Amino acid sequence: MNLDELFAVTAEHAARTDREAAFPVEALDVMRANGMLGFVVPTEHGGGGGSVTEVLDLTLRLAREDMSVAMIFTMHCQQALALVRHANPELAARVLPRLARGELYLASVTTERGKGGHLLSSESVVHSDGSHLKIDRDAPIVTGGPHADAYLVTVLAPDATSPSQVSLVYAERSEVDVEVLGGWQPLGMRATRSVPMRLTGQVPVRNLVGEPGGFREIVTGTFGPLAHLGWSAAWLGTAAGALSRVVQFLRGEAGRKQFDTTSELLLTGLAKVRGRIDTVHSLLRNTSRVVESTEDLTQPPVQLLLNTLKITAAEQCFTAVDELIELVGLRHGYLTGSPLRLEQAFRDLRSASLNYGNQRLYLANGTLSLLDQQVRLV
Amino acid sequence: MDANFPAVLQPFLKYAGGQEITGESRLRDLGLDSMQSIQLLFAVEDAYHVSLPDELLTDDTFATVGSLWAAIESVRPAAQEAS
Repeated sequence: MNLDELFAVTAEHAARTDREAAFPVEALDVMRANGMLGFVVPTEHGGGGGSVTEVLDLTLRLAREDMSVAMIFTMHCQQALALVRHANPELAARVLPRLARGELYLASVTTERGKGGHLLSSESVVHSDGSHLKIDRDAPIVTGGPHADAYLVTVLAPDATSPSQVSLVYAERSEVDVEVLGGWQPLGMRATRSVPMRLTGQVPVRNLVGEPGGFREIVTGTFGPLAHLGWSAAWLGTAAGALSRVVQFLRGEAGRKQFDTTSELLLTGLAKVRGRIDTVHSLLRNTSRVVESTEDLTQPPVQLLLNTLKITAAEQCFTAVDELIELVGLRHGYLTGSPLRLEQAFRDLRSASLNYGNQRLYLANGTLSLLDQQVRLV
Repeated sequence: MDANFPAVLQPFLKYAGGQEITGESRLRDLGLDSMQSIQLLFAVEDAYHVSLPDELLTDDTFATVGSLWAAIESVRPAAQEAS
């Protein structure tokens, strides 16, 4: 897998895709060609057999160039892993080899008007005639949606009696009508092209991923952990890249002329930023270890840790870049086009606390804390 | 299962409607969400004078009416079962 080409292509187009809020098609083409879209597909299906830890390593590295591309990669791996682990044998045989060949970029259709990013409920009724599922699904935010070759869609199970009976369905672009309902003009993560979309059409019943109404198991085992780990890695890589550029600048001739590297204000500031980044990194690695070595991820201590990782990474990575801007000042920190690219990192990272809202996770962790009287640390 | 158990659960199951609640009834399908499960736990613990240990508070315990009842049974004093 030639990663240098991907990093170079990503860096080359990062400023333009941010400015134009354009999807990084050039980086996606490299990912298709170099096997990254099949990175987590087992080798027996022709994939890279990559582990969760390796996905996080790549996400971290990519985010140093461009947070949007890192998000696109890590979220694709999350969907791909859902298929690897939960697709029935027929669906796996049909889809995984194509995923390995880079033919399928996956997007998830899990948001819904009225419930936002709430994963575990749906109001989207689906009809079944026994052999096909008839989908009519409207989603306010689909990351990479216009460029995806296939979608993982949450819908209410056909015979559902409550909104919690959610199924996950695989739908290829050729099987459904895909309508883009609006644009994407955000503050940051601009290259993710996360537009509102409507999917209508019929897919075979065998495209069901997991059990009917069984999306909860996919969320607790794969979707949730991978989302929090992958996003956190993308945010951490963005902040680490920003600090690295600042340190390289301060160490250079121009930097040393402008900044006094014995200044206590500067040194204390750098120490705090570095500390935030190391804290998030430690938390990310520990959480990843726990997720990969724990069978029942629904235990409150594990859920608490996963939510804490997401909350902490979102807060600390954003604060780290905010503090870097304060340290280097207006010209180097605040201007678009500054080689330090702190302004873009700041805008990109502002999304972190909103991307599956921290507020909601604090509420969940309050409840989970009450379920763990012993305070079992994992 | 205690005959009164469905009545203890009923206030937390907004999609139960008029249907009979049995051991196989799936709590989440009937409307239990994670935020409410702590309130349901308190109600159950008060009703049966038990305290469920942390180790039992997983998704599996809150899967069905029967699995939650089994968890309660596992911590009820033997004397109470006999009475």
